[in-house]
Amino acid sequence: MASVRLRGIRKNYGDNPVIKGVDLDIEDGQFVVFVGPSGCGKSTLLRIIAGLEDVSEGELEIGGRPSLDVAPSERGIAMVFQSYALYPHMTVAENMGFALKLAKVPKAEIAERVQRAAGILQIAHLLDRKPKALSGGQRQRVAIGRAIVRKPEVFLFDEPLSNLDAALRAQTRVELARLHRELATTMVYVTHDQVEAMTLGQKIVVFNGGRIEQVGTPLELYERPANLFVAGFLGSPRMNFLAASLVGEEGAIASVRLENGGLAEVAADAGSTAVGAKVTLGVRPEHLRLLRAESSTAEGIRGTVSLVEYLGDLTLAYVQVEGAAELVAVKCNSAAQAPAAGTPVLLAFDPFHAFLFGADGSAMPARARSAAAPAVSH
Amino acid sequence: MNSRSNVGWTVIGVIAAVVLAALWAAPLLWALSTALRPELETVSSDFHWLPQTWTLDAFARTLAAGNLVRWLFNSFLVALLVTVITMAISLMAAYAFSQLRFRGRSLLFGIAMLSFLLPFEALLVPLFRTMHQLGLINSYAGIVLPQVVAPVVIYVFKQFFDEIPADFREAATMDGAGPLRVLWSVYLPISGNIVWAMAIVTFIAAWNNFLWPFIIVTSNDMMTIPLGLTQTYDAFGVRYAQLMAAALLGAMPVALAYVAFQRRVTQGFLAASGLKG
Repeated sequence: MASVRLRGIRKNYGDNPVIKGVDLDIEDGQFVVFVGPSGCGKSTLLRIIAGLEDVSEGELEIGGRPSLDVAPSERGIAMVFQSYALYPHMTVAENMGFALKLAKVPKAEIAERVQRAAGILQIAHLLDRKPKALSGGQRQRVAIGRAIVRKPEVFLFDEPLSNLDAALRAQTRVELARLHRELATTMVYVTHDQVEAMTLGQKIVVFNGGRIEQVGTPLELYERPANLFVAGFLGSPRMNFLAASLVGEEGAIASVRLENGGLAEVAADAGSTAVGAKVTLGVRPEHLRLLRAESSTAEGIRGTVSLVEYLGDLTLAYVQVEGAAELVAVKCNSAAQAPAAGTPVLLAFDPFHAFLFGADGSAMPARARSAAAPAVSH
Repeated sequence: MNSRSNVGWTVIGVIAAVVLAALWAAPLLWALSTALRPELETVSSDFHWLPQTWTLDAFARTLAAGNLVRWLFNSFLVALLVTVITMAISLMAAYAFSQLRFRGRSLLFGIAMLSFLLPFEALLVPLFRTMHQLGLINSYAGIVLPQVVAPVVIYVFKQFFDEIPADFREAATMDGAGPLRVLWSVYLPISGNIVWAMAIVTFIAAWNNFLWPFIIVTSNDMMTIPLGLTQTYDAFGVRYAQLMAAALLGAMPVALAYVAFQRRVTQGFLAASGLKG
């Protein structure tokens, strides 16, 4: 096991910066997920840790040792590639033992370590096959096995599940989590899939445009996103955003006026924001409730159901709100709760389950319920 | 209507292929027919497609007289050395041009490709002078060395390596392989068919090469088959049966090699053309 420490890492391709200064600490035995959209620099950073890319600036320590000048094979790391990169002319056993053969490990020990890794991954019956005779899932296991036999201090995974179908991806995700528990080794995992990030990561690092947007546990990131990007990236469907302007703050509750003229309340500390300033209201689809528009007692954001999607276990209603650039998604627990398309509705939410973002996109600090008076949306 | 038209074109295609094949094979068959006649019959004014008297006499005399076995050995050794060295140099150069990043890479590759523009004939005199200064006239090294620079082979290998996902190189690098080991243990086996195809083509070209051995070799014992055939002609006068027998014996090893490796050569060219991996 080993920790990984990155300080001031920058990477330029010519004049084009792709990593713009990254500081990050990955602890011993931690499962860390790098997540972000395509081209955000997450894979480049993984390749820098692997030694497959040089850095323009910065420091890297693996297990407390400065590692930028160390050859990839001597960093104590192993990597599972997106394409698996299994050598097509070698059998599974030869693929798994190749690194050990190059390291001049005795044949008997190679065979023993390959057998042990194959046992862990339940691929012992495939050892004599060539990669082309394997299914996608089996290839994926062999690629992991090839990493395991080297007994690395750090595992690197570069989107290893992206070539698998949905069912196999879910199954392999569970197996990877089990593998991490069994091996208790540091793992760094790159993905653009937020489900993989949320389910696998003990710590998630959200990248955007060559920078880290936020680091935290899955729940921290989901429940306390640092900015609009993180709030919008994690969650499916993504968080709803509505443009608004700050009306004022009373106690723990900030009031905002939406583009359609309606008022909404959010339990957020807007103290440093001027009244009248442009803000963004954010509410996750599962925290919105649909109410009948004709109800005289109900209060909420007025809109009209535009589209209803039935997904089996839940139903998604998309509501058109006047002045909003995008449809507002609402998760309904049953099809019966979802009104038909064209129905006028009110969108209601608990102010303690809503977020407020300033003009620069950063989240205003959330208020805890005990610090605030009960509030309702209007 | 459409189906009839297709059948018609197929028939025309088959007839054209048969005619072309016959035209291609005719000189070869005529050489065989001549080699199987008595010498006297080859100069007879009566024309016959097939020998009137069948005999292996021409083959026996060819093997007994002259230096044919020695020339065959020379051709085999020279072609083998040219092939092995050309493959080694071209594979390493192509791998470097394709997979390694170093200053001046594009310039060097451009220079290598520019050498396409220079016909070998233009290099004869400087090459001969160089070989003479190195004392390599009438030596295997003198015959082999100028033939091992093959930009077209480098180009074909580079194009092929460009298509191989870089993940293989990176995985092997992480496994602890240096560039030579990556080339030998990963890229070479993956490129098996195209390497075989290039090797066979290079072997045949070196076997058939007449011009350079003609310039660099004066000793009868150092001659290769194409060069030796001219000696056969001089030694036997106008002995057509023996000349054809010598030509067939000289071409036979390389023809057999091609037949043996034909499948690999075809697969290699298909792979190189991107039609089939």
